[in-house]
Amino acid sequence: MDETVAEFIRRTILKIPVCEMMTILKTWNFLSESQLQTVNFRQRKESLAQDLLLLCEEKCATVQDMALLDIVYTQVHRHQKLWNVFQMSKGPDEDVDLFDMEQFKISFKKILQRALKNVTVSFRDAEKNAVWIRVAWGTQYSKPNQYKPTFVVYYSQTPYAFTSSSYLKSTLPLLKQALTIASQHHQIVQMDLRSRHLDSLQAIVFKEYNQIFENHNPTPPLQERSLGLDKNMDLRIIHENTLEKERIQRVTQEAFGDYPQPQLEFAQYKLETKFKSDLGRSILANRDEPFRCLIKFSSPHLLEALKSLAPAGIADAPLSPLLTCIPSKGMNYFKIRDK
Amino acid sequence: MEPANTFCHHGESKGGILVHLERLETQRNKSHTKSEELPRAQTSALGTKCHELRRLRDKLRAEVKQRQAAIKASDQIVEFSGQEVLERQQGTLKAILQAYHFTGLSGKLTSHGVCVSISTAFEGNLLDSYFVDLVIERPLWIHHHSIPVFIPLEKIAAKHLQTDIQRFMFSLCEHLNAYSGRKYQADRLESDFTAFLTGPLQRNSLCNLLSFTYKVNQEHQALFSARLLYEDLTGTLPTDVTVMYQGAEALSNSWEKHRLAHERLLLTKPLHQVFASFSGEENLDLNLVS
Repeated sequence: MDETVAEFIRRTILKIPVCEMMTILKTWNFLSESQLQTVNFRQRKESLAQDLLLLCEEKCATVQDMALLDIVYTQVHRHQKLWNVFQMSKGPDEDVDLFDMEQFKISFKKILQRALKNVTVSFRDAEKNAVWIRVAWGTQYSKPNQYKPTFVVYYSQTPYAFTSSSYLKSTLPLLKQALTIASQHHQIVQMDLRSRHLDSLQAIVFKEYNQIFENHNPTPPLQERSLGLDKNMDLRIIHENTLEKERIQRVTQEAFGDYPQPQLEFAQYKLETKFKSDLGRSILANRDEPFRCLIKFSSPHLLEALKSLAPAGIADAPLSPLLTCIPSKGMNYFKIRDK
Repeated sequence: MEPANTFCHHGESKGGILVHLERLETQRNKSHTKSEELPRAQTSALGTKCHELRRLRDKLRAEVKQRQAAIKASDQIVEFSGQEVLERQQGTLKAILQAYHFTGLSGKLTSHGVCVSISTAFEGNLLDSYFVDLVIERPLWIHHHSIPVFIPLEKIAAKHLQTDIQRFMFSLCEHLNAYSGRKYQADRLESDFTAFLTGPLQRNSLCNLLSFTYKVNQEHQALFSARLLYEDLTGTLPTDVTVMYQGAEALSNSWEKHRLAHERLLLTKPLHQVFASFSGEENLDLNLVS
């Protein structure tokens, strides 16, 4: 077994939390059931890694097997990467898309290998007719760096691809080209949408986040939208502003809907507008150049936080459309200029 | 009354009180005998008539009472059944609206337009349902939907939504039903006929390209690889089928016949039915070719 392969497998095993070890190894499906049974999973991680490495040695693990382990690990720990979204497009009257997954894989690999002699490309099929791709980049003279791979998730016959942020900016054009040509599209554009939550990104671009529909079939009745005032309320307490609270609730519901919001961590607004001031003579006012300013909202769950601003009394309802349009426009990076 | 002595005074004229009373008595006795002289028939006739009238009166009284009671009772029934009938009608209407789901296309009015529900089916099996929430404005637009991203919704909407909404709905239904049907066939092949497949079934999101290797029966080593293309997204049968022989045995005439027969079968019958026929009658293929 190659030294680089052994070292990589060892480091990956050390990364895996003990509680996930069995699941990930089983999903990897490289070591057999009988082999795994011979290992003591309760020992110290370093020793465990050694034991597992010996088994991998027996089975002669290759670069591809190691890459597959990396994909499985990343699939379980996808939130550790920051994901970007690319949108591809075809001509208007194209023929029906007869997507052949094998053909796609062959084509993708060929394009990369033709451009860069040293590159490791691995594939793993996923559910819903998607494929996870791992690309380790090398140069004409150096072997691929297995520790800085790029991951791509592509759903067949859709215009969207999701890639993990790469430290190597120079590889991006080649990746985009390979994706576009292999999937038989013409153009590719990076969307202004980034998040650690791959599933939320998918929900936003595939427009799957609002799945509440009215129909005649009996559905559990929409809970009376309680303002949190009714339950366990002492009758001696009188709320003076119920009308206003109800208005806020209604406006929030119109803007955000009743469904769970997709999970994003930030929204960034780059302002390139002229500084506006009430005070006539300010140093900053009356300038021709735009006043550059960057506003970033961060939260573990940004959209839910925005949704709760007005009901909590922190902001006026309705919220600015710049905040509420994030899922519908599929953007969380905005550039705002003067009209 | 005159005092007794006056009577005694005028005793001769009238005979006094007692005589008066006597006279009245005799008068009465006379009239009695007179009444006895009335014909029996007349009396009995009157009696019967009286009887008759009494009976009629009683009957009418009873009828009136009955009618009054009936009216009172029916008043109550009308009150009661009015409510019940309405509820029953409401229940029936609700059930009908729910049952519309089975026609494949149903809708419910919303505050801003209509929410259309498309239920797909294939070979009598009810499959997935999809929703399109339309906002009725000029121009019409789709608020949100549950249509998978690989169905060409934008294309269909661009063509028909503003001009002919019926055609839009019909086209969308066509695409969705066909997709559901193809998916159903592929799923059935994967789940019910694993014994025949010698490798994984390759498919794509639209299920319009299927590729797999299979064998017809367990004894022979004859392997076939099939590639099905469905270029018509509104169809559930492939437009192009290529079957290649990949067996270990040499390609004999009979295997060539099988190959051609399989190609024809796969072009004309749903996928899972073709494999069902493999497990049923093996000679089915040869008969088709000849």
